[in-house]
Amino acid sequence: MIDELFEITIRSLAISGTATLLAGSWSIPSAYLISRSSRLSKILMPIVEAIVGLPTVLVGLLMYMLLCGRGPLGILNLLYTPYAITVGQALLITPLLISTSFRVLAHAQESYGELALTLGATERQAMQLVLVQSLPGLMASIVMSFSRALGELGVALMIGGNIRGYTRVITTAIALEVSRGEFELALMLGGVLVILLVAVSMSLRTLRRLQIA
Amino acid sequence: MSLKLEGIWFKYPGSERWALRNVSTEFREGEVAVITGPNGSGKTTLLKVSALLYRPLRGSVRAWGRDFWRLGSDGKIDLRRKVIYVHEKPILLKGSTLYNLAYGLLLRGYSRSEAFKAADKLIEKLGIAHLRDKPISMLSAGEAQLISILRAMAVNPRLLLLDEPVAHLDLRKRRLMVSMMRELAASGVGCVIATHDYSLAESVADRVMVLEDGSLVADDKPEAILESLREQKA
Repeated sequence: MIDELFEITIRSLAISGTATLLAGSWSIPSAYLISRSSRLSKILMPIVEAIVGLPTVLVGLLMYMLLCGRGPLGILNLLYTPYAITVGQALLITPLLISTSFRVLAHAQESYGELALTLGATERQAMQLVLVQSLPGLMASIVMSFSRALGELGVALMIGGNIRGYTRVITTAIALEVSRGEFELALMLGGVLVILLVAVSMSLRTLRRLQIA
Repeated sequence: MSLKLEGIWFKYPGSERWALRNVSTEFREGEVAVITGPNGSGKTTLLKVSALLYRPLRGSVRAWGRDFWRLGSDGKIDLRRKVIYVHEKPILLKGSTLYNLAYGLLLRGYSRSEAFKAADKLIEKLGIAHLRDKPISMLSAGEAQLISILRAMAVNPRLLLLDEPVAHLDLRKRRLMVSMMRELAASGVGCVIATHDYSLAESVADRVMVLEDGSLVADDKPEAILESLREQKA
């Protein structure tokens, strides 16, 4: 049981971690570009913020329709694989990551971006300063998004299929064990999830303190 | 040579109100100009338009004979390096005081050792060695304001634009600031100061400008303007 618990935990961390890195690779550059244009931010940010709380089952359903045999991406054979969960979680956390990074970057643009320009920075030097000074805030956004990916159930269940030893992650395992009446394992998995989320939250606080300093 | 604003109209995105209305003026090297006026009259906006940071909706900004907003990016950087704006609320970079003072020089391609050496010289000259390695988070509001002004001075600007520069300074630092401004003007640097502080204006200004609701309503010698402003205030 402990072996399985360990394996599920490692898989959950790997899938959600990769999903967060993937989402970060497009969300942070997007947030930076949006933060540079007040017109773009006025149009896009209300939409992005509105979909931050999109139900995970809805994202799971849309992903399922895309990836199933008759779906437009069915040819990729990704359904019920860890890759599908990774992509699904990355899409799920994208609005959250864009929204939180945007707030950090928009504030940094106003202060550090303007400071860099007035001190005679090139566009590239100004961008570098804004990103470096925003780093603790951006790290906090990434950690928050990772936490959302780790704790979601809808996407992992609908497009992962909860296959033992392959796509089973902490949240799908808890759901399965509860449906079977195996509360002991479900509680242990729940405990692991809580410990991981608390660890994430504590690292978030440390990053915020760093930003204030 | 100087910075010349002609018929400047400016409003912030999404706002209906003009922050600057048909403002024309000139800031010259070696001159200390003080801009005063009530809150919301457009002092900071005028400084930021003059600092080549805000693009006016109408009017032209000519810096050293060149129409700034028609220049390419290299021309803009070249002129921005001559005109430095210092924010009212100091914006300091994470790191030490020394790094903050050296930052503008690093942007200009100085090596780390050259930039830090020049920053060190400035620290020694002003007798603030105790601040040298102090982390920014440990500075008082007055110290932070002083460092942000010194950082601007470190890059040898031709025109220095200061927004409420003595707001957080104690008497000693305020005196230091006034003597630095005089020294700068004597060495040919132009200073433009936005402030509510009439005594600062009296002690440093060659010229005082009054803004009201985005319009320039007076521009004259300090003695001609400050007296009537004091009377109005009383």
